[in-house]
Amino acid sequence: MSPSALEPTAGSAPATGTGLGVAPQPMMTVRNVERHFEGMRAVDGVSIDILPGRITGLIGPNGAGKSTLLAVLAGTLPASGGTVTFDGTDITEWPAWRRARHGMIRTFQLPSEFAELTVLENLLVAAPNHRGESLRGALLGRRYWIADERREVARARELLARFSLSAKESEYAGSLSGGQKRLIEIMRALMLQPRLLLLDEPMSGVHPSIIGEIARYLEGLRDGGLTILIVEHELHMIERLCNPVIVMAQGKVIGQGSMIELRRQREIVDAYLVG
Amino acid sequence: MSLYLAAFGFGLVSTSVLAIAAVGFTMQFGISNMINLAYGEVMIAAAYASYGLNNAGINIWVSLLGGAVFGSVSSYLINRVLYAPFQKKGTALIGMVIISLAASLMIANVLLPIVGYYSVSYRQNVGPTFHAGSIALTGVQLAIMGLAIVLMLVIHSLLKLTRLGKAMRATSANPTLARNCGIPTRRVIDTAWLITGALCGVAGTVAGMNSDTFAVASGAGFLISIIAAAVLGGAGNPYGAMIGALLIGEVTEISAAAFSPEYKEVAAFAILVLVMVLRPQGLLAKRGTLAAAG
Amino acid sequence: MTYYLTTLGVYAGVDIIACLALNLQFGVSGIVNFSFIVFQAAGAYTAAVLALPPDSQNGGFQHYVFGAQLPFPIPWIAAAVVGGVLSVPVGLVVLRHLRVDYQAIAMLVLSVIANLVITNARPFLNGAAGLSLVPQPLSDRFNAYSPTYLWAYVAVTFVCCALVFFVSQRIVKSPYGRTLRAMREHELAVTALGKNPVVLKMTIFVVGGVIAGLSGAILVGFITIWAPSTWLYPETLILFAAVIVGGRGNNWGALFGAALVPVGFEEATRYLPQFGPPGLVPALQWVAIGLLIIGFLWFRPKGVLPEKPGRFAAATPVVGARLTKEPGVS
Ligand SMILES: Nc1ncnc2c1ncn2[C@@H]1O[C@H](COP(=O)(O)OP(=O)(O)OP(=O)(O)O)[C@@H](O)[C@H]1O
Ligand SMILES: [Mg+2]
Repeated sequence: MSPSALEPTAGSAPATGTGLGVAPQPMMTVRNVERHFEGMRAVDGVSIDILPGRITGLIGPNGAGKSTLLAVLAGTLPASGGTVTFDGTDITEWPAWRRARHGMIRTFQLPSEFAELTVLENLLVAAPNHRGESLRGALLGRRYWIADERREVARARELLARFSLSAKESEYAGSLSGGQKRLIEIMRALMLQPRLLLLDEPMSGVHPSIIGEIARYLEGLRDGGLTILIVEHELHMIERLCNPVIVMAQGKVIGQGSMIELRRQREIVDAYLVG
Repeated sequence: MSLYLAAFGFGLVSTSVLAIAAVGFTMQFGISNMINLAYGEVMIAAAYASYGLNNAGINIWVSLLGGAVFGSVSSYLINRVLYAPFQKKGTALIGMVIISLAASLMIANVLLPIVGYYSVSYRQNVGPTFHAGSIALTGVQLAIMGLAIVLMLVIHSLLKLTRLGKAMRATSANPTLARNCGIPTRRVIDTAWLITGALCGVAGTVAGMNSDTFAVASGAGFLISIIAAAVLGGAGNPYGAMIGALLIGEVTEISAAAFSPEYKEVAAFAILVLVMVLRPQGLLAKRGTLAAAG
Repeated sequence: MTYYLTTLGVYAGVDIIACLALNLQFGVSGIVNFSFIVFQAAGAYTAAVLALPPDSQNGGFQHYVFGAQLPFPIPWIAAAVVGGVLSVPVGLVVLRHLRVDYQAIAMLVLSVIANLVITNARPFLNGAAGLSLVPQPLSDRFNAYSPTYLWAYVAVTFVCCALVFFVSQRIVKSPYGRTLRAMREHELAVTALGKNPVVLKMTIFVVGGVIAGLSGAILVGFITIWAPSTWLYPETLILFAAVIVGGRGNNWGALFGAALVPVGFEEATRYLPQFGPPGLVPALQWVAIGLLIIGFLWFRPKGVLPEKPGRFAAATPVVGARLTKEPGVS
């Protein structure tokens, strides 16, 4: 990937290009999105574009509204105002599950493993289009869905092997370490073969050696064409992976661009990039 | 028309009883983030505690104090011995609600062999009847209304003017944050249960004073009106509970006049369903506690 | 003696069926259906009024609607259908937006109110007195009081148990059951994976309602009476106790819990000598049920027979090992 030029600020001119001179259509367009909690504006008029095939970073101090914005994009929180379009379709009113079926998959900042399911089962729950997942399929019995099950078990095991968790597949997810739970969530998301992956602090609590592993994997996914939005406090990871990077503070976008450009902007450094 | 006016008058008394009860109930929810389904049974138990005193020849208003103390102590104990340990253990909401229903049944069935199945009534002098148009209320009923107003003002000042009240509101909004700010949340929660328990005890006794008779079986009926009032006003919100009590109190009495007193609680239920369908977060909801997260 | 044993057998079967249904809703899916008994009652009333002759025909001592005098098994089937149909509006109101403990109180309130309405609306289902003289299934062709009939009834009850158990196992062991369990653990995460939680909850809620309706039909066909006092809201809590004691999420646990709690406590002691003032023994039973729930949730929240996770055959053969099974749920 070629290093990118300055990305356009929200809602202004169209993208200036990726270095290949082609103006990509944004995969997701966010316009004037707001989310209020009892009158408190957690997200206050955010307009951003998420470009396909990129890893976009979303950073900002605690309470900036990053998680809230991510939840609004994923549909797990309804927006109080504004519009979200995905592939040119207005999805503002879509429930979360419908967005997920269209390839927008999010992870959570707090561990959200299915504690009393095993690691392998956690991944299998995510499997899309499984014949055994409807009441009808269940009643028709094992023979009706076993082929799908085998396929999904194989896929899940591949992922587990890639993240070195094969040995844990029959353990309860609730018994894992915080970092391993994070991995479960990422793998669960990947089981769905998403088009847009929304990750909320996927590296917090993860062992440093595995952070590198996750980063490499995400780069691989991006090179394979996946679009990723990632909220993270680990700035060197953001620097390595993300272009562009969006900075939020107090519910508003206060800047975006590559990390190098952001470091040049005084107010952003003051607001967040300490030092 | 005069029939409805009279019902409106009774509705004001029901509102008073209900407001005392619902404010206690909703504050318990706010402070401990759980629905205490044993509330109706503690009310009844306190009503019987007052009855015991009253039956021994003590004036009903003095007995009322005894009921308040009983409600206060038993609510405190239920929380300390049962609810708080389970919550500390990390029991999910789903478990807490089952535990509180189990507690409710246990209280009722410990009470039953002691006090019996039969309805009882207080020995009280209901005083002269006052008329205003077709509204006719007894002295006791007016006194209950006065007591409710006083208690609501006390709760209001407690929440808004005292340090304890501020600590309670902070704990209610975000316990972890409150603890990190140096608020002794455990003591605050204990005090809140003592206060709300006292409200529960008073409510039980005045409910008994306002109706001709009461029995252990009355607990479930109480609970329904209380839940309806609290949910209507947005659970955890004491001011909402007061307004909810007014609506539920009036609607139940007026519908009792219009249809039949047996279906009193059905009106409360209908309102509850409407709120749940149309505005699950309640009328005055501030915290969105009712709706599922996300 | 025959009558005692067969009664116990039918009650046991009905409780097992009910616990299996509640296990699907509560144990597997995390739906706190405090109005479970209402669905059983709906089934019982349906089966009763469809089997009874028009109410003018028996001296008018009881009043009810329909009185269709339909032959077995139509009343039973209708009971199951009504249990399922009734679940739809209840589920749509309660299960969609509310936090889980609000779902629980909404159901609790529904249970109390439904009982209150039926008790007071006499012409509908004969009010507080309830229905009696409900004809037993096929009683026009067999002597419904002969030991053979009674034992046959027990046998039919247990066939229904087996059927319900079979269906429950299919659900629990399927990917659908797995998703239900995941929803119980973290509903929002399941939603974010593209599953519609309303569909998941509604389907299992209706399945539970169907089974509950059937259980009511079986019971009323045997005991021939049905009144509001038999389906007060605390009855549901006994079933909860059974599922919690047995092991929520595990069908064998539901079976075991049903045999232990409702059967052991309620039905068997019904015939034990009473001591103390009247009402003391039943009151103590309720206290014991409460203690059982609280004790288990504290000391053994997963129950006697905890839920089993799905087992999957090993992925690759161990070096030089014997044949390994293909991957798949076992
Ligand atoms: N459910 C909620 N109810 C009320 N306020 C909320 C809720 N969720 C978030 N907030 C508030 O909204 C603001 C933004 O929160 P958000 O979690 O989006 O921040 P964030 O940028 O993700 O912070 P962090 O880096 O700590 O995760 C905060 O002030 C928070 O207290
Ligand atoms: Mg966050």
